[in-house]
Amino acid sequence: MTDFSELFGRRSPVPLPGAPEMVTSKAVTAIGQRWQCQRCRQWIAATDRLPNGDWYCRTCLQLGRLTSRDRLYTIPEPNRFARLVMGGLTWHGRLSARQMQAAQAVQKHALAGQRQLLWAVTGAGKTEIVYPALADALARGWRVAWVSPRIDVCLELAPRLQRDFGGVEQCVLYGGQPVPYHYCQLTICTTHQLLRFDQAFDWIIVDEVDAFPLATSPMLQVAIDRAQKTQGSCLYLTATPGERLQREIRQGKLAVTYLPLRYHGYLLPPLQLKISWRWRQQLGRGRLPAGLQRQLRLWWTARRPFLVFVPHVADLPVVMAVLMKAGLSGGTTVHAADPERQAKVQAFRAGNYRFLLTTTILERGVTFPKVAVAILGADDPVFSTAALVQIAGRVGRLATDSGGQVLAYCHSNARTVQRARNMITRLNRQGRRQGGRPC
Amino acid sequence: MLTCVWCGRSFAPAITVTMIWQWRPLPQPALCATCHDRLTPISPQHCPQCGRQQTTVEVCRDCRRWHDNLRNRAVYRYDAGMKAYMQQYKFQGDYRLRLGLQEALRLALEQVDYDILVPIPIDERTWQTRGFNQVTGWLTGQPFQQALAVTATHKDRPQSAKTRQERLLTPQPFELVAGASDLLANRRVLLLDDVYTTGRTLRHAAQQIYLGGAKAVTSLTLAR
Ligand SMILES: [Zn+2]
Ligand SMILES: [Zn+2]
Ligand SMILES: [Zn+2]
Repeated sequence: MTDFSELFGRRSPVPLPGAPEMVTSKAVTAIGQRWQCQRCRQWIAATDRLPNGDWYCRTCLQLGRLTSRDRLYTIPEPNRFARLVMGGLTWHGRLSARQMQAAQAVQKHALAGQRQLLWAVTGAGKTEIVYPALADALARGWRVAWVSPRIDVCLELAPRLQRDFGGVEQCVLYGGQPVPYHYCQLTICTTHQLLRFDQAFDWIIVDEVDAFPLATSPMLQVAIDRAQKTQGSCLYLTATPGERLQREIRQGKLAVTYLPLRYHGYLLPPLQLKISWRWRQQLGRGRLPAGLQRQLRLWWTARRPFLVFVPHVADLPVVMAVLMKAGLSGGTTVHAADPERQAKVQAFRAGNYRFLLTTTILERGVTFPKVAVAILGADDPVFSTAALVQIAGRVGRLATDSGGQVLAYCHSNARTVQRARNMITRLNRQGRRQGGRPC
Repeated sequence: MLTCVWCGRSFAPAITVTMIWQWRPLPQPALCATCHDRLTPISPQHCPQCGRQQTTVEVCRDCRRWHDNLRNRAVYRYDAGMKAYMQQYKFQGDYRLRLGLQEALRLALEQVDYDILVPIPIDERTWQTRGFNQVTGWLTGQPFQQALAVTATHKDRPQSAKTRQERLLTPQPFELVAGASDLLANRRVLLLDDVYTTGRTLRHAAQQIYLGGAKAVTSLTLAR
């Protein structure tokens, strides 16, 4: 028997001849005077017509070009999976009482098919909190996707799920993935990849839901809705929900489970504000704020690994040159388009670099033991309130960490910085009520 | 603010004093500064035959092996940046990316003396699937003659999928279109192609153009 599973719940431009129940539709359709792509649901610009007369979609070009000549093929999702023992769970760790309480709430909402949010501070152990609900879903034969707008988050998550759900077949999808797609019960992928799915999933877990580019992309929001079955639901995970989700909570449209304390019971490190007047002009003359340079030297001498966040990629070589001149060697720079990005992050974690200079790409999803953090230009608009809270959350993640600091150097006390400090204070107040201790 | 056709970010075009002195509408760049810098123009220090970037102006080793007098100029180096551009434009089929290099090609064509411009053609199947000729996509109203066609019997793997040895052994893929000789007789022809790799394609094309009666054939490629 030929295997047609590749089209189960998919939206593919390549048909499988002879497949029963295969549904097909045009990839790009005319609606009135305009053309719309049926994979990403975006309008095609009037100028994006090829000389041979076809229209093509630029928005989802990275997934392979679709033109008005193409068709999309789907086989409705049949949930054809083998029965799993324990939902495939092979994790032997234990949840704390607080985590367990949250885990049960998540499981209850998932079973009821409710849209829900798990609002857990950075370092609360949110991945493990989802495990009981995930095992339960998989044991019921649900098809599940664990997605994130950030490729780093997917890459860090995939090996963990492979280890902790050893009994479940999984695949990992992102732009440039080395292994081709295959049909399986648990899919880990970027939100972009959901554009290739059509009513496939009973449950979608959206990790770091407030991260770029999902928060600002209506296309990706639609992708999540369309990849989900009509009776399916989703779970959002974040430490810093945006205004839209917070409003939905207040309006009672979104179930929420709240975890204000890190798994080890320590509070979040506060964001310390350091006013550095005209730091940008100083940097232009090849100087860092004196306080920052002194602080970095202290960390460097004490062999504490540290991250320095700067607003723009162009700032990286400038700051690096200053540090080299000051004799702080053994560090490197990382940015989004850096081909060695993954390798450098791994090397820093392994202790092969003494510090990393980076942009907001390392704001979330990464854990470095004993790390300290400085943000140069925390008042720059690229650092949103959520980004600042996430960056602060890189510090003190492990129970064995202590004394890690988060220092924000800015020209002025911007509203984003103020809000981030307030959010941390508010979370810590709640955490203290649950018995949290300062780190 | 303009939107960069390659990276999609918005940017403010740089305006220099010389541009203002030229007293004509300021050109609207299609690429932002960052994307513009991903491509490396070839300096005057290049091989006089194939146009490859070198430190000298001597005929390069590859060209000496051809024992002929082909004369090619190339605008950019075929480096990582240009490969990324070609990947998106030609292989992913992002036709809008043509806008990114139209101005550079316009300036390059102004530097060359020729009577007739002949772009390298694509075969029927590519026309159906890709939907455009990547070479003519860069033209902005410069007159050209599609004097060459890919022979109907020429069924072949793409050049980019072959080794150098295989490329060199490729049989003649082009023929003259009907009436081409009337156009070409005694004219100076400039062939236009995207990338000069081994020079095999351009030499096949030049051979046919000479058969059509051209007086001289030179070529221009976007990359070498
Ligand atoms: Zn599309
Ligand atoms: Zn650009
Ligand atoms: Zn040469």
